[in-house]
Amino acid sequence: MGLIARVIESVGIPTVCVIGLREIAERVRPPRAIHLKWPFGHPLGEPGNRAQQLCVIYIALQALYTVRESGTIIDPGWRWRREEYEEPDRWDLP
Amino acid sequence: MSDFDWLRQRLESAFGQFLSQAPELARLWGQWFDAVEGEPVPLAALEKPLREVRLALVTTGGVHLRAQTPFDMRDSHGDPSYRVIPADTPVSELMITHDYYDHSDAERDLNILFPLELARELAARGAIGSLGTCYSFMGHIEPPHVETLILQTAPEVAAMLRQEQVDAVLLTPA
Repeated sequence: MGLIARVIESVGIPTVCVIGLREIAERVRPPRAIHLKWPFGHPLGEPGNRAQQLCVIYIALQALYTVRESGTIIDPGWRWRREEYEEPDRWDLP
Repeated sequence: MSDFDWLRQRLESAFGQFLSQAPELARLWGQWFDAVEGEPVPLAALEKPLREVRLALVTTGGVHLRAQTPFDMRDSHGDPSYRVIPADTPVSELMITHDYYDHSDAERDLNILFPLELARELAARGAIGSLGTCYSFMGHIEPPHVETLILQTAPEVAAMLRQEQVDAVLLTPA
């Protein structure tokens, strides 16, 4: 996935990846990544947890504006099934 | 030099670096990943507010329309092809073909892997400008198919994203 992001970014389109394996992202270096150490198949969280899913989308889209250095990995530190999420109410980024 | 030639040159150069570093390929759990060491690619700037952004989703979770040919699970090196997922595709018309992870939860709620419905909702309420055509690959791509991915299929998707004037892409893995 990181390779695909690199190809897309190289034609001038900003990308952000949600990743589960920091070690791979550190090698492949997608331009912007959100690291969530969650089970495979669950990059945006648990089924039915809309607030969690939207929080991941929000923090990913925010990274499109805040990341200044290619290869940046943002780690929100959200633990699997041990966090309470609230739906983001404002999306007026940046 | 045309855009395509420029891109091809860049990609061939990147692929040369990839080959020279092939012994450094990440090997985890005894499987090759689509992981190659790379120099950082220059960041493309997002010049407009989110409410005007045309967003596209790209997943490597093996999602495809039921009517499309499934990803090839017989080739142990993976399938570097992609599927075009129109932004208005009903989720009921989508399925997942990917033998390398448990996608039972994603089949119950595709938003955890490929948030097509949530992205449509964000567009409908004006949080993003619009949702463009989306694309799906399968992860777990090993040599020699990495070359096809880097030199052919990923550039094809990048070109279509540009053609459709997509402003930003959110990528989600399996």
